[in-house]
Amino acid sequence: MENKVSNYQDQVYNFNGLWDVPSICGLKILKKEDKTIVIVTDLFKDNPGTPITEWNAKLAKEICDKNEIDYNSLIFIEHTPNKDTKLTFNHESFFKVNFDISDDKFENPKWQEMVKDEVDKLIKE
Amino acid sequence: MKFQLIFPKWRKLQGQTTFNLPPHGAMVFAATIPDYVEVEFIDENLEEMRYDDDVDFVGISMLLTTQIKQGWAIADEYRKRGKKVMFGGISTMLHAEETMLHADCVFLGEAEGHMEQVFQDFRNGQLKKVYNHMNDLPAIETVGPARRDLYKRELYYHKGVQMVDLFHASRGCKYSCYPCAVSYLGGRCFRPRPIDKVVEELDTIDNNRLFIVDNSLAQDTQWEKDLFKAMIPFKKKWCSHTIEDKPEVLDLAAQAGAWYVYQAVFDTSDYIKERVKRYHDYGIGVEGTILLGLDNQTEDDIKRLIDFLLEIDLDLAEFTVLAPFPHTKAYTDLIKQDRIFDKDWNNYNAGQVVYHPKHMSADKLQELYQYAWDTFYKDETQEEKMFKLLKQVVSREVEDGTFRKRRQDLSKTSFGKNVNHKIAL
Repeated sequence: MENKVSNYQDQVYNFNGLWDVPSICGLKILKKEDKTIVIVTDLFKDNPGTPITEWNAKLAKEICDKNEIDYNSLIFIEHTPNKDTKLTFNHESFFKVNFDISDDKFENPKWQEMVKDEVDKLIKE
Repeated sequence: MKFQLIFPKWRKLQGQTTFNLPPHGAMVFAATIPDYVEVEFIDENLEEMRYDDDVDFVGISMLLTTQIKQGWAIADEYRKRGKKVMFGGISTMLHAEETMLHADCVFLGEAEGHMEQVFQDFRNGQLKKVYNHMNDLPAIETVGPARRDLYKRELYYHKGVQMVDLFHASRGCKYSCYPCAVSYLGGRCFRPRPIDKVVEELDTIDNNRLFIVDNSLAQDTQWEKDLFKAMIPFKKKWCSHTIEDKPEVLDLAAQAGAWYVYQAVFDTSDYIKERVKRYHDYGIGVEGTILLGLDNQTEDDIKRLIDFLLEIDLDLAEFTVLAPFPHTKAYTDLIKQDRIFDKDWNNYNAGQVVYHPKHMSADKLQELYQYAWDTFYKDETQEEKMFKLLKQVVSREVEDGTFRKRRQDLSKTSFGKNVNHKIAL
């Protein structure tokens, strides 16, 4: 998935996760004038490898580098879709992840939960 | 070449009956070691460590998260003495990066087909820091019988009664449950062993009682039925994790010697109640496994669940609190929400609360965990209930002529230690 984007892309993204295990996630990139929104989606059983949360710092950097996204303009969101069960921990969730970025490295992820409306609003802004 | 294989001890949960079962993973690993290597096994739960033995290479097999700090301490002792130490096993994979700090070599993945290379590298002084085979699972047909000859058998007896032997008929799991790391460890697909290989291994086990440790046998109905059919002639009695509750499967399981099965109880539904009854209708006992502290549980939910357990005629119940093991969704969810307050791996024993539950305090969940054990076993202790299950299996063994009398020479020992009076287990 090496293609560069203009303003928007939506794809299944392949990456090498922890211990080089081939992994996939959903990936949406929306480039705006002053920011780039990157939403990575956990694909659960369809993903043979590493979940997005465990690989977020490396994944965020890799996606930025491949798509010429300025680190400082990045808004990185982890999306966990509804698993269609009654159990609350399987409900859909969105977390904005902030990283400490220094020396070309993304570190110390900090998560901030968002409701879907907030994500929609961010996209529409 | 002499290779010392260690299974580190861990702190047992207070107030619960402790049985020391013969470790399985270490013996499955041992079966992959080249023939020219002489292997000696130490189960530290039952034996003292012998750091000064004359050995060439040391392996530490780690199963549990609550075992790893002890594994690291053991490795440090050997390495102080100039010995090379390799780590492998489930919790090595869960804690690989931390474990590398205490290891000359970390093996990740399943060992079949790879140990020739590791031992050759050791002999050539070219041991690699990491052997990463996480993405390179062996063909399931290559899994051979475990090296049960390495057990010091007399250690796995309680008052002359032999403990069950552990055995696995499949690897991997097609499910990816919230608290479970199997999908990380063994890939997200079910890998059943060929039935002839299972039969070959069963034939090597000198024990009439087994614990089939597969994550879940309920993943491929035809294979499951074939497995049970193949097990019938062995007349062994066994317990296992979940099996399917279809009549034809239960019928074959009962014929194959199903003694009792574990059944997760998450709610108070008729589905669970009927499922337990279906097992019982076929003469199969049920041990409920009840995970406390999930985000959908309030204090009232937990109390209702415990009342429900008393109504549905479970033979045994085992309560655990959620332990957020690395590489599970439970772990990543709680990390994201900054709810884990205890990072001491010794406490990840499923009996100690290490995170902030959603609907109550950590102390309250700890209290409810104790309340669950106390309430379920109020009228009949865990040992009494276990004894009832044991009586059931003994009468079935007597009927089919497979009953073995307790070993008189070990009747005054429990897991290798003398017992002069009734011991508090």
